[in-house]
Amino acid sequence: MTLTADERWDLIEKISNKVVTFGKFKHTLKDALGELTVKPLTGIPIAITVLYGFWSVFSSFAGTLCTDGFFVKLFDGHFLPWIQSVFPGVGGWFYYIFVGDPAADNCFEAFGVLTSGLFVAIGVVLPAIFIFYLMMALLEDVGYMPRLAVLVDTIFHRIGLHGYAIVPSILALGCNVPAVTATRILETKKQRFIMMTLLAIFIPCGAQLGIMQEVIPESIGIVLLYLIFGYFIFGFILNKLVPGKSPEILIDVPPYQKPMWNNIARKLRMRLGGFLKTAVPFVLLGCVIVNILYLAGTIDWLAKTLTPLLTGWFGVPGETVGPLIAAFLRKDLAVAQLSTIEMSKYQMITSVVLVSIYFPCIATFVMLLKEGWKNLIGSFAVLVTVIFLYGGLINLIWSLLGVQ
Amino acid sequence: MKKILLMGNPNVGKSVFFNRLTGANVIESNYPGTTVDYTKGYMKGDSEDFEIIDVPGTFSLEAKDKAEEVAVKMLEEEKGALVICVIDASKIERGLYLCLEIIERGYSVVMALNMWDVAEDKNVQIDIEKLKNILNIPVVPTVAISGKGFKEVVLSIKKAASVGVKEIMERVGETK
Repeated sequence: MTLTADERWDLIEKISNKVVTFGKFKHTLKDALGELTVKPLTGIPIAITVLYGFWSVFSSFAGTLCTDGFFVKLFDGHFLPWIQSVFPGVGGWFYYIFVGDPAADNCFEAFGVLTSGLFVAIGVVLPAIFIFYLMMALLEDVGYMPRLAVLVDTIFHRIGLHGYAIVPSILALGCNVPAVTATRILETKKQRFIMMTLLAIFIPCGAQLGIMQEVIPESIGIVLLYLIFGYFIFGFILNKLVPGKSPEILIDVPPYQKPMWNNIARKLRMRLGGFLKTAVPFVLLGCVIVNILYLAGTIDWLAKTLTPLLTGWFGVPGETVGPLIAAFLRKDLAVAQLSTIEMSKYQMITSVVLVSIYFPCIATFVMLLKEGWKNLIGSFAVLVTVIFLYGGLINLIWSLLGVQ
Repeated sequence: MKKILLMGNPNVGKSVFFNRLTGANVIESNYPGTTVDYTKGYMKGDSEDFEIIDVPGTFSLEAKDKAEEVAVKMLEEEKGALVICVIDASKIERGLYLCLEIIERGYSVVMALNMWDVAEDKNVQIDIEKLKNILNIPVVPTVAISGKGFKEVVLSIKKAASVGVKEIMERVGETK
């Protein structure tokens, strides 16, 4: 026998009347904290403080302490000269692929699998991912995320989503792959499409953030601003164009909780393990492929062919073709490669934004495909449009400011 | 191998349950919607082994989003499975809604009143014995993050049987 919803609620009321007694509600410290962090007047300053704190710990731990303080010294000072001298066959193609430029004095410029590949993966990205996931696990376990969702709800409604979209968005800052799956918490097809498209295009992953703050620390703020603006501008447009509904939701805000260290440690282990197993091989493979394409002359040919487009429309040098190809595999590698190309600060900003919004990395692409090929085609169409419009717009802004 | 589904509202601690019962590793977080796909794991009981499935959280069996669709589909596919219904003890009514729906469909249910500590903090008292008698299913208070009540949940699995909702309605009338 099954009940109707009303009969069921009726039965529940009877049961609960018999078995549950509600004592006097005590206003605890947890409740007070909970209220302070969701009420806009206090919640918004707290949110800004939390996010700013997140970012400064991220950049000083990963960038200043680990990468500059340790890995740069280790790789550039000891490992690079050593491997350049012991690896056999200087001048040969094998040497070129694995060690790269024999005259390079740092691991960004060498661009071999064992030099730049290892350095980018282990020396730059690993510490960035580590600290990012550690802090994210803390925020997750304490229970701050749903409160952030409540605070940003109004803004997200403008782009057809609701506050809960902050969860896939923040997950995407770690890695876009789990973020694509996390879009399942959104109710309608329209919302999921908007979310997946926006995160694949505009949200840089932890690896990319780590490398950006290493190679362009002085312009990363501007790059991020461009991406955030893009996220909301195109979200707003997509919301108008994509048919479907964007329903309201009620968010369940769980109580604050003391984080459990063994849970945080386990999550960290799983996510870092995932990075080492899936991302590192792609970084190394990316190096191999790009080097082979250089050796075969494909990249020079493409650079020449595409220079009118790249220089004319986006205002960046033709050599950026190489990084754009690497970006298919790994965006962190692409940014590392960009940093070795000679160009102005503003061209660099444009190219980094282009690499970010341009085609999602292969792992994200596969995830998007798993969630449905129709969505993927739609996202792809949006992506191509965004690159041309937004890339052109940024170039136009620089020209108007006269800084190109 | 007998299958056990872990079901319940979002953010009641199903994944913490799962990790504790199976020793597996699924991501746990303090916000609803962490689990959007199901995960399988295995548990050694005293006499037999079980396959345990961590199902995404859902408020009812009428799915509202993709993660809930996964949950409903899991339940429909596993006709003979036993269900451990994980309920937030401080919000018992909405948990009961899902639990009753599952009972109505004829599944054997063990009810875990999780977040028992949070309910105590909020001064919500639940008469476990009465609830057990009314529903005629095993009801166990638990605190998943500390492991309290887990032994009893595992021991109760044997006692779970399908019960009729009509009988529940009758018993609730008779209870003082």
